[in-house]
Amino acid sequence: MSRARFGGRVAVVTGGASGLGEAVAGRLAAEGARVVVADVDGGGAERVAAAVVAGGGTARPVAADVTRRADVARMVQAAQELGGLHVLVLSAAVEVQARLGDTTDDDWQRVLDVNLKGPFVCLQQAIPVMVRGGGGAVVALGSTLGLIGQPRFAAYCASKGALVNLCKQVAIEHAADGVRVNVVAPSACETGLFARTAEQSGDAAGMKRLVASRIPMGRLGTADDVCDTILFLASDESSYLSGAVLPLDGGLAARRQ
Amino acid sequence: MRVLDGKVALITGAASGQGRAAAVLFARHGARIAVADLNEEGARETVQLVEAAGGAALAVRADVSQRADNDRMVAAAVDAFGRLDVLYNNAAVQMSGRLVDCTEDEWDRTIATNLSAIFWACRAAVPHMLARDGGSIINTASVLGLIGSEGYAAYGAAKAGLVALTRQLATELAPRIRANVIAPGAIDTPRFRKVADAMPDTAGFLRGLLENVPLRRLGTADDIAQAALFLASDASAYTSGAVIPCDGGLAALR
Repeated sequence: MSRARFGGRVAVVTGGASGLGEAVAGRLAAEGARVVVADVDGGGAERVAAAVVAGGGTARPVAADVTRRADVARMVQAAQELGGLHVLVLSAAVEVQARLGDTTDDDWQRVLDVNLKGPFVCLQQAIPVMVRGGGGAVVALGSTLGLIGQPRFAAYCASKGALVNLCKQVAIEHAADGVRVNVVAPSACETGLFARTAEQSGDAAGMKRLVASRIPMGRLGTADDVCDTILFLASDESSYLSGAVLPLDGGLAARRQ
Repeated sequence: MRVLDGKVALITGAASGQGRAAAVLFARHGARIAVADLNEEGARETVQLVEAAGGAALAVRADVSQRADNDRMVAAAVDAFGRLDVLYNNAAVQMSGRLVDCTEDEWDRTIATNLSAIFWACRAAVPHMLARDGGSIINTASVLGLIGSEGYAAYGAAKAGLVALTRQLATELAPRIRANVIAPGAIDTPRFRKVADAMPDTAGFLRGLLENVPLRRLGTADDIAQAALFLASDASAYTSGAVIPCDGGLAALR
């Protein structure tokens, strides 16, 4: 029965070629969705789509830079060719670690472009298609760092904080159209940008232990944790939820305002 | 008591409204003021008001949506007054528009003016603050940066991003620099009047608005300036990363 949760639906996952986006694309396909795997890494998108097809699912790769309108239009077109657009997962993101004084103009602009303008462009083009199809669900990947401050993440915090409120605005604007928009805000996970950063640090195990020690549950999030939450928000199980921000952080948010 | 004696404050968007009110109030409390604005004539008028109140001020033309102007206005303040203690990022543009109607240009200008500008200004100002006695950064967000509201896709996103940036700065720049947010609600300024007057039913619009404001009145530029004075002064020496809604209780309803 869980296999049918997304039967007959088309899902678009941005940033679908790696990390959490890849995991979500696989899970949506496993539960019956036809999936558009969009990523600036076109080869990676092809690899993930091929894996879905090899597992008996339906997927289509699209090489798309979410900050480019023409790319996003091709992504939305690919969904329509698969039968519509019912679920949009905004997962594409970049992370730059730099203190305010060390954040270059290029870093700032790139982070805001990918993490904030990208979702803006995707929402703008995807939602009219969802509305024509009778509605849909958008799930954006926020971050604990969009809710609280943390040294060395000036641009990233700003982009994720803005994304949360963009999603709230859009949730209100399109509530009557049957489009729901929600945000999942994970803390550091075993998969995704944090994991990549940890690997690059030279002491991945030590860095993960340190971060985990600050989490009430004493462990990092997993790709499964994130997928479970995203699929909940993408499915009809959350049909009365919109404009919400779900912290997915092992209890960390409970320490905060 | 003069709570800003010897201090230098740079206030953006200070040619009118909340920025102008803060310039005059800060000056009455002893601060020398760099009055930055795109509107040079208005900035000069603010300087005259400051001088009439017995203070010292400098008008600086700045389009904060341009990085170089942020660098220039900070340099001008430091050149004129020898230091910088308070950076009050008050300038903003407000374009309303639903997501589907928001043009690329409106999005880019809103994000540049209301979010990137503050990044640029802080980056330029922080070394000067650290070179002396530390400092206080005050960022004007909006109640629309705290809650969702239809019709403000770009504005709401930019202001929420500013709240997040400020929290981040508060953690990063401590202990010598504090960073806080003022989140005004509906404030009776020239800009607000222009928006209200453009409504088909101005009186009805104002009535509807006030129904959602527990204090049952619009805010004034002075209401906001008083909050800014608190955040600029040592009265708030243990306050950093805070978001102070100045909205007559509006956000509390949410």
